[in-house]
Amino acid sequence: MQKLRPYLLLAPLTVFLAAFFLVPLAQVLWLSFTEPTPGFANYVHFFADPFYLRVLGMTFLTSLLVTVCCLALGYPLAYCLTQASARFGAGILLVVGMSYWTSFLVRSYAWMIILGNSGPIISLLRAMGVETPPELLFTRFSSTLGMVHALLPLMTITLYSVMKKIDPALVKAAANLGANRLAAFRAVFLPLSLPGIVNGCTMVFIVSLGFYVMPVLLGSPSEQMMAGLIGQQMEEFGNFGDASAMAVVLACATLSLYALYNRFFGLDKLWSKGK
Amino acid sequence: MKALKCFAVIMAILIGAPLLVVIPMSFSASESFRFPPPAWSMQYYSAFFADPTWTGPAINSLLIGLGTAALTLALVIPAAFALVRYEFRGRAFGSLLILLPLTVPNIVVALGYFYYFGSLRLTQTYLGVILAHTCLSTPIAYLILSASLKGYDRTLERAAANCGATPLQAFWLVTFPVLRPGFLAAGMFAFVHSFDEAIVSLFISGRDVSTLPRKMFDSLRTQADPVISVVSTLLLALVVIGSLTPIVVRRMKARRQAALQRSAMQAVAVV
Repeated sequence: MQKLRPYLLLAPLTVFLAAFFLVPLAQVLWLSFTEPTPGFANYVHFFADPFYLRVLGMTFLTSLLVTVCCLALGYPLAYCLTQASARFGAGILLVVGMSYWTSFLVRSYAWMIILGNSGPIISLLRAMGVETPPELLFTRFSSTLGMVHALLPLMTITLYSVMKKIDPALVKAAANLGANRLAAFRAVFLPLSLPGIVNGCTMVFIVSLGFYVMPVLLGSPSEQMMAGLIGQQMEEFGNFGDASAMAVVLACATLSLYALYNRFFGLDKLWSKGK
Repeated sequence: MKALKCFAVIMAILIGAPLLVVIPMSFSASESFRFPPPAWSMQYYSAFFADPTWTGPAINSLLIGLGTAALTLALVIPAAFALVRYEFRGRAFGSLLILLPLTVPNIVVALGYFYYFGSLRLTQTYLGVILAHTCLSTPIAYLILSASLKGYDRTLERAAANCGATPLQAFWLVTFPVLRPGFLAAGMFAFVHSFDEAIVSLFISGRDVSTLPRKMFDSLRTQADPVISVVSTLLLALVVIGSLTPIVVRRMKARRQAALQRSAMQAVAVV
């Protein structure tokens, strides 16, 4: 009886997730091989069509760009939070946290106003005498900008949660031993903050890969990312075969990144330090 | 250091300021997305509260969020106890399964639900959305609960048992009250996650049980309804209130404590 107890406690959730999570996922996998005809036709179609391959490549490139931008902006920001006074740091962190908790839809709407044709940037360009201001909204630029703005708080918070645990005495010790500030940073702080960089980049990259809301609302309809294309295929065209094959490709890409992370660092480390 | 501080302030402005543009938009008198608005009015606030195609989804989201939080807690609390407190075969598999919903892109899950719930006739029902959201909230609730469970000192339970409590009594009288903040936090996160979730709702909630994010998404895609600015402002206000409340409460507590200390000192001085 005593031995059975953990199984009894775990059973309801396991059964629930099996019935309402694993089954629908298995169905996506099943559909990708059977709809409309059994076989690998959907995958052959996907990997043979230059349009689909371009979307796949674009999705990876955009995610990489978003990750690099978030790291380049988030790292100095998080570093500053650990170095500045507690009051200053708390104030900045409050703004970052508020943005983090704000719905992606609200953030998309805000960028639609700012970059739109009757928005402040275009008006300013017109006032400065630019006859035909460039299209800002519904381009790759606007969706990438929106994604960087949306994911920068996630990157900053993840980096900060690792950096704040670094003992400042270590950096001071390096300085005492004759290292200048840059050398102390490079030899001590940067390597110790590496787990934060890995965590932040993994999370931001994976979220970007499967991002639906912002690329669809802010991006160009002719230059979609994977998630948007999957949604369009199932919603507008009822093309479940192609949609599910693409979903399987996207899920495999994401899961293999997690597996890679798990192999080297252990998955529990990715989230336990987060929020 | 000064340059770094300047950079941090600029970044905070770049992160925070773009969100603020939704506030003046909500007081606009114009029908377009023009910013800054040419004239001011409260018309979109009255339009929001009078329009059932907006208030309906808001209520739906509230109900679905509450249902999700309740169901998530009912399933995850026992599971967290099992995974944190017992060593057993299949434990690693169990914790992997619980975290799985966090790792699969939402659009993939949405496709699965669209098809699966269609065959079960669960699309466009409250139950369907609650079931889907519960799966997605499970990992977050589990991470919070297991963290608070790991920090719980089990000698408290043993002390209760020594005093003659049955295991069930010990749970209700000792364990539950101590862990209540963790349970509450996990429930809140499940609620917020459901309230905020757009993609699965977009594909399975239909028009009948449309959630607020779904309605907002549709409205943004067609760019036809300026009421979206009111909803955005209200949601932003909720985030600000939610972020500031703990700080204000903490400060008030500290102040009360300081006042108590001062009066105690005065009393001592008088004596």
